[in-house]
Amino acid sequence: MYAPFYKYGMFGDEVSLIVAFVIGIGFGFFLERAGFGSARKLAAQFYFTDMAVLKVMFTAIITAMTGLYLLARVGFVDLSMVYLVPTFVVPQIVGGLLLGVGFVIGGYCPGTSCVSAASGRVDGMVYIAGMFAGLLVFGEISRPLEGFLYSTPLGQVTLPAFFHLPYGVLVLAVVLMALVAFAVAEWAEKKTTGTAPDAEGSLTAMPWRLTPVRRLAGAFAVAGVLAVVLGNPYRGNTVEVDTRDLALGAARAQPLAPAKLADWIIQGRNDFTLVDLRTPASYGTYHIPGAQNVPLASLTADVAPRNQTLVLCTDDGAEAAQAWFLLKAEGFRSVYLLAGGLNGWRDQVLYPKAGPETSANDVARLSQVAQYFGGTPQTGVASAAAPPMPVLAPPVAPPIAPAGGTAGPKKKKEGC
Amino acid sequence: MTELTYTRHNPLIDPIFHVWEWQIPVYLFLGGLVGGLMIIAGIRLLVLRPNRREALVCCTLGPLIGLAALSLGMFSLFLDLGHKLHVWRLYTTFQVTSPMSWGSWILLLVYPALAANALAHLPEAIPALASRFPALVKISDFILARPRLVLFAGLTNTALGAALGIYTGILLSTLGGRPLWNSAVLGPLFLFSGLSTAAALLHGILVLTMPSGERPAFADFLLSALARMTQARPLDPAAAPILASADNSFLTVEVSLLGLFLLGHVTSTAVHHRAAGLLLTGPYAAPFWVLVVGLGIAMPLLLQTLELAHRIRHTLAPSLLVMFGGFALRVILVSAGQASRWFEALN
Repeated sequence: MYAPFYKYGMFGDEVSLIVAFVIGIGFGFFLERAGFGSARKLAAQFYFTDMAVLKVMFTAIITAMTGLYLLARVGFVDLSMVYLVPTFVVPQIVGGLLLGVGFVIGGYCPGTSCVSAASGRVDGMVYIAGMFAGLLVFGEISRPLEGFLYSTPLGQVTLPAFFHLPYGVLVLAVVLMALVAFAVAEWAEKKTTGTAPDAEGSLTAMPWRLTPVRRLAGAFAVAGVLAVVLGNPYRGNTVEVDTRDLALGAARAQPLAPAKLADWIIQGRNDFTLVDLRTPASYGTYHIPGAQNVPLASLTADVAPRNQTLVLCTDDGAEAAQAWFLLKAEGFRSVYLLAGGLNGWRDQVLYPKAGPETSANDVARLSQVAQYFGGTPQTGVASAAAPPMPVLAPPVAPPIAPAGGTAGPKKKKEGC
Repeated sequence: MTELTYTRHNPLIDPIFHVWEWQIPVYLFLGGLVGGLMIIAGIRLLVLRPNRREALVCCTLGPLIGLAALSLGMFSLFLDLGHKLHVWRLYTTFQVTSPMSWGSWILLLVYPALAANALAHLPEAIPALASRFPALVKISDFILARPRLVLFAGLTNTALGAALGIYTGILLSTLGGRPLWNSAVLGPLFLFSGLSTAAALLHGILVLTMPSGERPAFADFLLSALARMTQARPLDPAAAPILASADNSFLTVEVSLLGLFLLGHVTSTAVHHRAAGLLLTGPYAAPFWVLVVGLGIAMPLLLQTLELAHRIRHTLAPSLLVMFGGFALRVILVSAGQASRWFEALN
């Protein structure tokens, strides 16, 4: 059993929503108990009278960080499978400033506004309404802004990679930073409110006793030092090939029906990479919209992050099996083969056969899908009631659809 | 070939799978709610000393809301009818083997029973209404002067409420063509879900009228205006913990019945197993577990337990959650049931 569970296929989309619900309720419960459902408490942060937000958030960060580090080091979490948000420096700074302005005006951040609304506060509900209005506006204007939104990209970057520091040293640095921040926060609270912090919950208050808070701080510091000693938590460049797993897995290589891939593309899903393993020449003649050309010979583990879902396609699927084996050995978890390769794509998506037993609805859907990808309109819905349905054999075409097949998708691609 | 294509378009030949839309879950929810309100009102009436007069949330407001909810529910049922003008024909016969027939007669009997319960203590609950219509006082006096009539009204309400609640589930479970509904547990499940929504509704009303410092000013204003208009006496907040703990029991029974329902399906034929899979891992899993089990049962159970332990104040939240969960249960079961089928090939 390895984490992340979802990436390792322990449960599907449906169950992941249920897990999200449980985590969300737990998160909300503890935010509420910490008093973060109240805008007063959150705003006190900006007046330095109550630094609970800083303390809680920084504690959360170092808890997650040391926890992830230790679990990864033990081998329970595969860090290379954890999704990292790609960094776009300038747009994210602008976004952060906007969020900050909204925080100061509304008194909530998105998460705490949900807590506040759920506990019946009207200002929290108004804040959520504002948040959705903002999302709607952003959705409407994001297309023209695309150039800016994707500017100054750094890719999926981590602090250790950015500073060229060992992973463990960075863990220790962040832990120390947090502890210093807690001490400074207490000092600021004392300055602004004029009252000494409660000795029991304080890190710096004077009669020096080993209170639980101090023990916790000590534990974090120890975890940080351990991280420096223990080294890199990533699995590194070595690949462990579990031959038994592979041999068993090869028998049930995950095939992906062409119709399903078509659905994914039409839905605009962007959580997978479509890899076309054929030669650049055949790729140039026709390729499925959005496909990336990586000839089998030049396929390496760098093709995509290992947590990415890959769909492999070749002409008839034979070479794809080879690539599947390679990628599986490299530790990619979700690699799909396009069932039947591009021939399958042609027969089932571009020029689908509709038999007499196909219902009218299905025929209409098939023809819509075919038209989307530039298939010939002969399969169109207009023929649903017309007699020559069985005649709808795919036009005999050179390897793959000619003009109709190439022009269509390209046009669509520009549109998207 | 052409003919085949045409006939496949004919809805009378090609079965339509989702024929029940929003009207049926709305009716099932309101029917269950009214059943629950009747049982609670009936029992409250039986427990009460007949000559004592009180402003009661269970015995007056409950049945009054029940009358309104039942009318709404029957209206939505009426909207679902294919031949609306033929509705009267249901009342020209009684078919022992037809749940529809049982239902239509039960619904007709529910009205006088609910009305008797509502009228018994109406003058105390809404004095403004009683002073305008003296007949109401007379009716109330008439009922309360006859202990046997009160007893009869209480028993009838309880019995009819149980019948109504169970019948809403049986209505689904007798439709053999839908494997997901093929369970006798649906009857008691809907009964207890109805009871929990009814207890939650009454609890919510009590919470609303309780003195509270944190209520927004406009809500206070509305409530006090309403109280002035009806000259209503404050409701007895002592019933709130009783209702909350009753609601907790109902929710506990409901969740056990849900477990039995799923267990029965999973251990039955492959068809039923697959049908249960719609709720366990299939497309209805997330809404079912999150909305029905999580938000509709687990959260209110937790909140009401904390309320009863005096850890938190009584709030509107569990009441709203329970009612929402009860509605979600009907919507999901009606929808998932219609998605379940005996032969996958028919899809």
